[in-house]
Amino acid sequence: MADVINVSVNLEAFSQAISAIQALRSSVSRVFDCLKDGMRNKETLEGREKAFIAHFQDNLHSVNRDLNELERLSNLVGKPSENHPLHNSGLLSLDPVQDKTPLYSQLLQAYKWSNKYHAGLASGLLNQQSLKRSANQMGVSAKRRPKAQPTTLVLPPQYVDDVISRIDRMFPEMSIHLSRPNGTSAMLLVTLGKVLKVIVVMRSLFIDRTIVKGYNENVYTEDGKLDIWSKSNYQVFQKVTDHATTALLHYQLPQMPDVVVRSFMTWLRSYIKLFQAPCQRCGKFLQDGLPPTWRDFRTLEAFHDTCRQ
Amino acid sequence: MGVTCVSQMPVAEGKSVQQTVELLTRKLEMLGAEKQGTFCVDCETYHTAASTLGSQGWSAMVRSQLTATSTSQVQVILLPQPSQVAGIIGQTGKLMYVMHNSEYPLSCFALFENGPCLIADTNFDVLMVKLKGFFQSAKASKIETRGTRYQYCDFLVKVGTVTMGPSARGISVEVEYGPCVVASDCWSLLLEFLQSFLGSHTPGAPAVFGNRHDAVYGPADTMVQYMELFNKIRKQQQVPVAGIR
Repeated sequence: MADVINVSVNLEAFSQAISAIQALRSSVSRVFDCLKDGMRNKETLEGREKAFIAHFQDNLHSVNRDLNELERLSNLVGKPSENHPLHNSGLLSLDPVQDKTPLYSQLLQAYKWSNKYHAGLASGLLNQQSLKRSANQMGVSAKRRPKAQPTTLVLPPQYVDDVISRIDRMFPEMSIHLSRPNGTSAMLLVTLGKVLKVIVVMRSLFIDRTIVKGYNENVYTEDGKLDIWSKSNYQVFQKVTDHATTALLHYQLPQMPDVVVRSFMTWLRSYIKLFQAPCQRCGKFLQDGLPPTWRDFRTLEAFHDTCRQ
Repeated sequence: MGVTCVSQMPVAEGKSVQQTVELLTRKLEMLGAEKQGTFCVDCETYHTAASTLGSQGWSAMVRSQLTATSTSQVQVILLPQPSQVAGIIGQTGKLMYVMHNSEYPLSCFALFENGPCLIADTNFDVLMVKLKGFFQSAKASKIETRGTRYQYCDFLVKVGTVTMGPSARGISVEVEYGPCVVASDCWSLLLEFLQSFLGSHTPGAPAVFGNRHDAVYGPADTMVQYMELFNKIRKQQQVPVAGIR
């Protein structure tokens, strides 16, 4: 064993307590012997009874005395200290068969290793995949963070309109219609050929969320306003909506949001062949009733959701 | 309405129409499709009667009939032009089909073989009764298909038994792919799906797909496909086939 449990035990009191247990055991067995033997033969019945009762009482008193002695000694013995690091699993160290199942030592080693790596290297790796879209650096304390909002969040609406209209002219089969029904955030209705319609909700020039619906589905509410909440009725477009949300998290560049919008629209345009392109991996059109809905972020190739990786 | 393909499934060797339908529905259920009610498509045939009235008289007649029934709110979406009507009247024996589809319960479809298709309100049937002088119902011509609807992912499959009077004449299979509205886009996708449960009986591309290249698919195209299917089955009937029971 690498570690020895630190036991602050009063060894003297310990041995005394053990002999006190033996004394207690013998006095208890004397009580039962007395009961078993019954009354001794004496001249009168009274005498016999008196003698028996006296004897019995003596034995009980001695039991009582021994029990008190034992309690006093056990309080002196003390508990083993709780300083070992693994609490209940530390009790594994009491296992006498250490050679065959060296559980305790392996457990300690694994614990020390994971502590070392979590504190050091793993935290760096795990925090690389940050899904935050803000421009603030990770780890900058609240006090040092600049109080003013970054400039990219406060843009004049005219600038946003210009960027969107430029992107609208980029692709002939994609048309973008911009409206501002709720305050300053723009809502785009992107129509891609005769395949699908996308509703994009923006926050200045950052894309907040998207919903993809079919070409023949209704995108307006009963009031005539753009319906930005209801999902598509078709599973295909529900899947494409999930992929579009993934794309929003993938295309990120907090300092240049117009590049982000442009790359997102380029990725979206690849859906013009949603029903015509077979999957690049398995070669088929349908998988579980769905066409290839995934478009790779770099190569724009079509894959089924399950054939992705 | 998504792109739809209507085709006929030949009756299996040595089996009855009923048994073949059961085989098909079992295959669909194994694929994972869910039953979602029933459907019915029916078709009645009318002959255009020879008429002494010229084209002017005909349209005046129709207009008067229409005003008489306008209180019952007939909504006609597409009216054939008087010139077309004149051309039709000139050829006696041209057939007009009046069809209903349970998928569109409030509509009535009237179409000519290669001509326009009219989508009207169900009161159109009442109008046809009033136009008895011009359109006479062909005897024992009513043909219909009835069966169950199945939903698989975004596909709607309808397998029906085609009956003419009391006898079952064949099996119709309709597959609709809801999300897509352009026929030429998704034919390969539809074909792959059809092959998965029809196997070797998968049909070729319907004629309507070739005619409309990038136009949006509509319910009228489905009714044209049904009309062609019914005509094919009607012609089959004239050849005595011992296998069909």
